[in-house]
Amino acid sequence: MTKPLVVFDKVQKHFGNFVAVKELDFEIREGEFLAIMGPSGCGKTTTLRMLAGLEAPSIGEIRLNGQVMNDVAPHERDTPLVWQSLALFPFLTARENVEFGLKMRGVDKAERKERAFKWLDKMGILEFENRHISTLSGGQKQRVALARSLVMEPQILLLDEPLSALDAHLVIRMQAVLTDLQRELGITFVYVTHSQSEAFAMADRVIIMGKGEIGQIGTPKEIYRAPANQFVAEFVGRNNILAGKVKSVDGGTARITTPSGEFTVPTNEVNLVEDHNASFVISADLVHIATEEPDGGNKAYCKLISEEFVGSMVTLFLEDAQGHEFKVQMQERELSKFDLHSGDEIWLSWDTQSAHVLNES
Amino acid sequence: MKQSRSLNFILGIYVVLIFAFVFAPIIFSMIFSFNSQRFPTIPLGEFSTEWYAKVLADPDIWKAARNSLIVSCSTAVIATFLGFCTAYSDFRYNFRFKGPYLALILLPPTIPLIIMALAMLAWLAMLAWLSKIGMSGQLYSIIIAHSVLTAPFAMAVIRLRLNQMDPDLESAAWNLGGSEWQTMRHVIIPFCKPAIFSSLFLTAAVSFDEFAVSWFVSGLNSTLPVVVLEIVQGNIDPQVNAIGTFVFLTSMTLVVLAQLFFASRQIKGIQS
Amino acid sequence: MSSNPEQRPNLYALTWRLPIIFWQLIFFVGPVLFMVAMSFFLVKNYRMTEAFEFVNWSRMLTRGFFWDSYWYTIGIATLSTVCAMCIAFPAAFALAFRASESTRRWAIFLLIIPFFTSYLVRTFSWFVILSESGVVNAMLGYVGLGPYTMLNTNFGTLVGYMTLTLPLVVILQTVTMANIDKNLIEAARNLGCSPLRTIWQVIIPLSKTGLIIAAIFCFILSFGDFVAPFYLGGSQEPTLPILILDTTKSGQQWPRAAVVAIMMMVTLFAIAFTGIALAYRKGKGAK
Repeated sequence: MTKPLVVFDKVQKHFGNFVAVKELDFEIREGEFLAIMGPSGCGKTTTLRMLAGLEAPSIGEIRLNGQVMNDVAPHERDTPLVWQSLALFPFLTARENVEFGLKMRGVDKAERKERAFKWLDKMGILEFENRHISTLSGGQKQRVALARSLVMEPQILLLDEPLSALDAHLVIRMQAVLTDLQRELGITFVYVTHSQSEAFAMADRVIIMGKGEIGQIGTPKEIYRAPANQFVAEFVGRNNILAGKVKSVDGGTARITTPSGEFTVPTNEVNLVEDHNASFVISADLVHIATEEPDGGNKAYCKLISEEFVGSMVTLFLEDAQGHEFKVQMQERELSKFDLHSGDEIWLSWDTQSAHVLNES
Repeated sequence: MKQSRSLNFILGIYVVLIFAFVFAPIIFSMIFSFNSQRFPTIPLGEFSTEWYAKVLADPDIWKAARNSLIVSCSTAVIATFLGFCTAYSDFRYNFRFKGPYLALILLPPTIPLIIMALAMLAWLAMLAWLSKIGMSGQLYSIIIAHSVLTAPFAMAVIRLRLNQMDPDLESAAWNLGGSEWQTMRHVIIPFCKPAIFSSLFLTAAVSFDEFAVSWFVSGLNSTLPVVVLEIVQGNIDPQVNAIGTFVFLTSMTLVVLAQLFFASRQIKGIQS
Repeated sequence: MSSNPEQRPNLYALTWRLPIIFWQLIFFVGPVLFMVAMSFFLVKNYRMTEAFEFVNWSRMLTRGFFWDSYWYTIGIATLSTVCAMCIAFPAAFALAFRASESTRRWAIFLLIIPFFTSYLVRTFSWFVILSESGVVNAMLGYVGLGPYTMLNTNFGTLVGYMTLTLPLVVILQTVTMANIDKNLIEAARNLGCSPLRTIWQVIIPLSKTGLIIAAIFCFILSFGDFVAPFYLGGSQEPTLPILILDTTKSGQQWPRAAVVAIMMMVTLFAIAFTGIALAYRKGKGAK
């Protein structure tokens, strides 16, 4: 069903002595919405620029449709990019901006006009076609930038944090526009962002990057529920990370001793060795609270430190006697049944299967 | 911040005095150009246009004006071209010896004109002697000298404009299929147009009034400032005021036109 | 930018990078180097011949008149710089801190106008205005003063230098001071600094770089100008530029003129170098 459109094969990027990208090995599938996510400086934008040909890999190959692209100049590629700053040409009108790429490719005037018309209309900005860029609002400029890239009808569209300059309410709307667009056109989108909510809301697959390396590749759900390593676990989502030593391994489960107590975790095909260090993760929304001590092995007695409300969801920050921080996420209406105050003590518990052991890398 | 009003008043007067000092010679020159007295003083003589008549009737002055025009226009084009090349190279590329490279174009204004005049005179005479081409005393020797002198200003003006450009703009053009040459033609140059015009005008203006190097290098083919210099060396001659006023009004008209041109484009929302 | 420094420049890059190199090497570096070489040439029977002799140097540097002129030029140029910087300062201060943004921009625009007028014509104008029976003396005569001799004096020369340098110095000082962080000034006032102390201890140190650069430009301009001392200073001691003028135009002694020119350049270079080192030194101004 899905064949690789782009392959990054042992790609590294050095800037003098600085290693921006350590080693990238991954594929981009045709027709997918792929997000590359990570903190500032993780190499995600460099990766995108290498795909566009604006940087050349120091080591390794990038292949598009099987063809090695390393020496192909940016203007010879078909990888239009929607820039973070939008990079619209200020001395041209909206229409002229949209027609620019076609003009560079030698498309004749009549056809340019027609295709620009189609895309300006599609993005809902046809009325602004003859206006100069400086007179447009942020959202309108965003649409011009999209139209300018999409009019090229490319196989793959690159987007570098395109929504970072927009107001919050516009961001939500544009996210919907982008997802619908991608689904309708079937174009491969490669979307770089530092925002987890954006990546998880829009993408089919997500690549988490940190310090020039790939932390994990997977669907949003896989990454959230089963982070592959410490970096991804800490970067993504609200979850609890407990670290300790393996006490015993028994088939599909293991017991791990931590300062906060002894817990049972599923091994999940991770090779756990007795007496070795191990960490595991429990998502905050899989932790239950109770006033009475629950049965079962995985529990902790904690004091409530603070609460954080985001609409109907609330995150509780708690601390156990050893000072380890726990997070619990639940619906506000559930929490109100407990009448909890800061300083109160309460029991936390979770099912064994909710825990996820991390692969130490 | 409390500001004492009397202090502000005094400062205001002071600024006006400074401007009076700066503009006094200009204004007086214009007044004197219409004054009948050969040696103007107060009380002023009668209103007279005889100096203008004299100037307009002198074929040497017309020839010099024509030479000045040729020189300043040519200088403007060459200096702006050189300035653009250097500004773009500085903007886009990092290379070894970039420091000395920039010093090469930026140093000339730090050397007093009279020294440049001497050096140019000797060098061009030597080149002429070597190649048997008469270089000194020809207009193109002045054009060459002036372009060296004014290129730094062109470079500065255009470089400042490039600073205002979104650093991704050039990459965006490549990304959309524009080759480096196409991008230069369709993106960089259109973006720099205001600065290119400013530079053309600025370098022309500087060249038009430059007399030291022209005087040394021009020989028989004088430019207008050289004619002025020669008149002034002789004795007091109010014709100089008439010439000065002409030149001043021409320059100012061009400045005003340039400003209006760019202001109107801004109103139409064309500028970035 | 978007180019790798490791890559070799392609034709496109070279097309833009090379023109200035060729042009300046041939028409700037060449002339200057030739002038240095020329200082060792000989002039026999009004013809210059290639040589490598030190006679021009020894002739010039052992003559009293050269050193008189040298120190006089340094002195008057320094005086000019001090005057211009002091005269400009209150005006620049007013424009930077008391004027509105648009007033400031208009003022700077007006100050650029003199650059489009002929410096020669302005000097000639001053000659007429300052002469014994000129405008100034006539006006002073009405109130029973004068007449004063202003031409052919150092005063005349200074008036000429001010005409040349004042617009530029005012502009540079204004722009420098207008760009310093206003918060720092307010903080100083807030901490009890009197206005005068604020100027001395806060504003000037913060503007140090720009002010020194303005002074350097002013010095270079004054040092190298021959018009002001020649037409307005008259019978005073000749300055070095006038020496070059005389030696070239009347004497045809280009090699000797070259010696003077080189001495000027070395001096200017030393002063500019010292000035810039001072301007960019991270001194005790780091508050």
